Amino acid sequence: MAEVSINSLLLILLVAVGTYSLRVSGLLLSSKFVKDEGSLKVFLEHLPSTLLLALVVPSILKEGVVGIVASLVIVALMYKTKNILLSMLVAVLIVALSRNFF
Amino acid sequence: MNNDFKNGFLANIPIGISVFAYGSVLGVLCTQKGIALYELALMNIFIFAGSAQFVMVDMWSSSLDILSITLAALLINLRYFLVGASLNPLFVNSSKKDKFKYIHFATDESWAITMQRLKHEQITPLFLFGGGLCIFFTWFFGTVLGFYLGEFISNPAKYGLDFAFVAIFFALALSMFKGKEDLIPWLVTALVAVLLEYFLEGKLYIVIAAIAGSFCAVLTNKEKENG
Repeated sequence: MAEVSINSLLLILLVAVGTYSLRVSGLLLSSKFVKDEGSLKVFLEHLPSTLLLALVVPSILKEGVVGIVASLVIVALMYKTKNILLSMLVAVLIVALSRNFF
Repeated sequence: MNNDFKNGFLANIPIGISVFAYGSVLGVLCTQKGIALYELALMNIFIFAGSAQFVMVDMWSSSLDILSITLAALLINLRYFLVGASLNPLFVNSSKKDKFKYIHFATDESWAITMQRLKHEQITPLFLFGGGLCIFFTWFFGTVLGFYLGEFISNPAKYGLDFAFVAIFFALALSMFKGKEDLIPWLVTALVAVLLEYFLEGKLYIVIAAIAGSFCAVLTNKEKENG
């Protein structure tokens, strides 16, 4: 059963090399022009949050009303407690409950 | 110096717990796709990028479409170019060797925690390394646990486990909220992401929406300075 598949090894190698190259080139190339304090800095400062939002917003909407409710709860909990893990747990609980009982 | 490694590791433990949780979801999915444990382990070590691994596992089948899967995974990981670029302030005083060594440990989580900390503290790349290692272990053990639990949990979605990933990234994004001036860039990001996700094939929408939103932040910032 556990026969080694060349194809899957090739796939993993390609994605690994590509991913590492992206990480390294971003870091190395940026140092050429990030020294100024202007627009590029504002741009880079906003990348973390916008990337995460872009990653999750479509998934939240696809989850429907429950996704939106769970997200609003995350907003409220983060505002009150700033506790990421607690916010996540409550949101997952809401989704789980809705899938099992509604 | 060593303190930065330890602090980074510790600062990532809360997030590491949720990484463990959705790592176990990936492990469960792997068993359902017939992916071997060594293949999962190789992905964890050498790719080390959660969302890309999720997509790879999702697209995995007995007749592997290497080209499509590679493209899909790398498109998702395009954001690591931006992640790498945004980490430049952390590495200003580092040698090339250190850059090559530590940048592999920049995951969504360790990077977000690092950026957060970098805003009000002076830290070295060791903070990122410690955090990345914390995420690496929790991720690795989570996936392995899920792999063995896979036979028992036939339906992880029933427990909302697939939403853990969404919830954690959303909470992380909110933790970076700096004030009202972020609202418009964030709305633009969300809108572009939703529209492009609908109209574009694949995952390119993530990168485009993030660039659009950040560009919007540059514009609103300029307006504020001029006005």
